[in-house]
This record gives sequence, C-alpha cells and structure tokens, in this order.
Amino acid sequence: MPASYDIKGIIRRVAEIIIDELKLEDVTADTFSPDMDLVDELGIDSMDLATIALVLQDEYRITIDEDDYPTLKTIRLISEYIKEKLPVRH
Amino acid sequence: MPVNNNVATESSKPKFSDLLAHPDVKARWEKVRKYFFLRESTYDMSNRCNIRCDGCYYYEGEKQFAREVSDVEAWRELMRAEKARGITYVVLAGAEQSLVPALLEVCYQEMPLGSIATNGFKKIPESVGYKLHVSVWGNDETSLKIRKAKNLLKKQIENYENDPRAVFVYTFTRDNIDEVNDVTEALVAHNCKLTFNVFSAPVGYDGRLRHDDESLGRTRQTMIGLLRKYPRHVLFSVYNAVAHTHTKGLHDLYRCSYPRQNPSQDIGLGRSFRQYRTDLNWDRSVACCVPDTDCVDCRHYAAGSAVVTARLYRHVNNLDTFKSWLDYVDTYLAVWVMGYEKDDNLCHEIIEPPYAATS
Repeated sequence: MPASYDIKGIIRRVAEIIIDELKLEDVTADTFSPDMDLVDELGIDSMDLATIALVLQDEYRITIDEDDYPTLKTIRLISEYIKEKLPVRH
Repeated sequence: MPVNNNVATESSKPKFSDLLAHPDVKARWEKVRKYFFLRESTYDMSNRCNIRCDGCYYYEGEKQFAREVSDVEAWRELMRAEKARGITYVVLAGAEQSLVPALLEVCYQEMPLGSIATNGFKKIPESVGYKLHVSVWGNDETSLKIRKAKNLLKKQIENYENDPRAVFVYTFTRDNIDEVNDVTEALVAHNCKLTFNVFSAPVGYDGRLRHDDESLGRTRQTMIGLLRKYPRHVLFSVYNAVAHTHTKGLHDLYRCSYPRQNPSQDIGLGRSFRQYRTDLNWDRSVACCVPDTDCVDCRHYAAGSAVVTARLYRHVNNLDTFKSWLDYVDTYLAVWVMGYEKDDNLCHEIIEPPYAATS
C-alpha cells in the first residue's frame, strides 16, 4: 500500500518511483522539485512516462489512460491526477 | 485464427508487477527498456538512385525535387543540432545512400546510432558502423522486372555476406509471396540475417503490388513458416507477422504517433520526430518514417517499429499479449541497433492486437 494518500505523501512517493524507474542519481525525493517539467527539463520521453504510469497504476490501484499521459508533465500534476482518481476517504 | 482477443476489463487486468514476476518476462523487459532512450529522425541524403523501382516511396510526392546538399560540413552541423535537441538515432533513408559515402561518414562521426536504407547494389564502407537495411523485393527475375536491376540479390549477398551491419529486408508484395522461400534459403546459406516488410502503397498507387485480404493472409502464413524454419536468421516474431498482415493497417490498429497523423507536440514522436529532405528542411504536416505512404494501407516495418513499440500501455492486458509486445520490441532493436542481439521469442501463439476489433 502507498504510504500516504495526502498530496504531500503522493508527491514524495511519485518522486521516489521516478527516481527508481529512471535510475536518477543526482536527485533525491527531498530535492526533486515537484514543478520541474519532466519532459522539457528532465528529458523523459513517452516510453519512460508509460513505464512510470504502469508502476503508479500498480501502486495506487488506479487507471491512467494513455490519452492522459501528455498532461502528466510534472510530479505535482501527476500527484493531483492520482489524488483525483483515488476513492474518497472519510 | 487468433487464440484470444485480449481487451481485458480493468478488473481482470493483471498488475504490471504480476507480469514482471515471470523471470523470462522480467529479463526481456530489462533488456529492451535499456533502449528507451532512442529518439529517431529520418534524413533523405540524395535525390539520386542507381536503380528505379516500381512503387518506390522516394519518387512520390514533392520530396524528390528538393535541392541536394552535398556539403559535409552542413551535414555535420545538422547532426550536431539534432543531437542538441535530443535526437539519439538517425535513419538515413532516401534515395540511395551508398552514392554519398562522405555524408554517411560525417553522420556516423557525429551520431553513432543509426541505420541506412540501401538497395545493396553498391557497398557502403565498413567504416560506417550503422545497421544497413538491404531491400529485397523478390528473386532476381522479379528484381529485373520491377527494379530494372540485373542479378541484384547475387550482388547484395556478395556485398554483405557475413556483415554484422546488414539486415536484408524482404518486402512482400501481392506478387512475390512464394519467391521468399528461395530467397531466404539463399540468404541463410550465406549467413545473412533477414526481416520482413509488407508493401504499403504510396498515395495514389493503384498498381498490382498492393495487397488484398487474401495476399495478406498468405503473407502471414509464409512469414510464420519461415520464422519457424530459420529462427537464427529470420529476425521476426509471430506478433510482427500479425501486426503487419492484419486486414487493418498500422494506423487503424495502433493509432500512428508520427507527426503526419499526430497533432500533439507534447511528448514522443509528435514532439521530436522530423523527416528531413535533401535540402535539410522538413515539414511537420507530412513528416513520418515513409512519407507519401497511403496511411490506410501502411504496414511498413519502419512504421511498426515505432508505432507498435509506443503502445506499451495497450499490451499489458495479459501475459501473452505482453510477451508478444516484448518479442516485437526485441525484434525491432535487433533489426535497427548495431550490436543488439535478438533472443528467442517468448510467445509463439497468434495474439490479436489489443482493441483491433474496436479500432
């Protein structure tokens, strides 16, 4: 289960997954800016994004439609997208 | 007949991690994903060719009339600019690259990964370490008829026997399906690797090479038969055969992601792909891997290599579909990347492309 469903927790977990999947060495979950443009600034491409989306689907048990990939350009946008898809918790 | 139609409902869809829990699948995934950094563009280098083929893509449309830039420094500058904008792989396409060896050398010096489409009539210097796709359109009798080239296969084999750069690309037309058996036998006897392409009509083409449903079906059977007979020399998979001989073309099956059919410039091919003409200009509205192909009829091997590969998401619906996708990507990399070796295919069943029934 993901550690946290609050937006800060999701942002951190998304950062960890991106770092792990892309084997990034010069950034940590603490230093990864949630607003960095993953395509323009980090240089990730469609196959990287598809991989990350599949891992996030597993992690949060949600569906990320492939048509939505282009909108997921920052960790914050990804996290907000995930939060919207999660069941409402009381 | 396909063994399944694999549009899984969300609830029946396995987790991605479950698919990767199979050791053979995990190993293949890790092998192919190392190459996800490849970002291609294509470049016409010369408007000349030493043969003239019926149905040739290059001599369709406007691109054949572009001015030819033969200045090596202009090409060096282009390659450096391409590298700077993130391109990591070049496809040197039309008309015939063996006629401009100095340009090939400078491209290879600047961009070490790439491939060259060639008719194989004139040998490309060994110092150019790109993959070479040697086009074969039938036996020598057929080549003489539709390519006006005498003893072409013999010449191609002489030039590229035992050359690790070379992959012979047999293009199936409606007319040459049975000839592939003898051609493959000859290539295998000379230790040449080959893969398969399917003739895809240029816009407006109404000649006799265009496929129909019957010829596509026979082509599929023939491809799979040769793959089983020569698994060490035929770089292909059952899923390659399915994807490229389906009655629907690649665009209908997978939604083509090249700029010509894809208005999005956010990410992927729609963002980075360019198709340069010999004057070093490009036009987004017509940019794709084989310009002037009729998109409805496109089953081109180069198109599939990008379009099928890009649809990872659709192929994680079940284990056999994912294995088929991995076989496809493993094949694509073996055909296009120097030094990449193909492994045994993981799936030997005919798997229907995801969403084929609804696309």
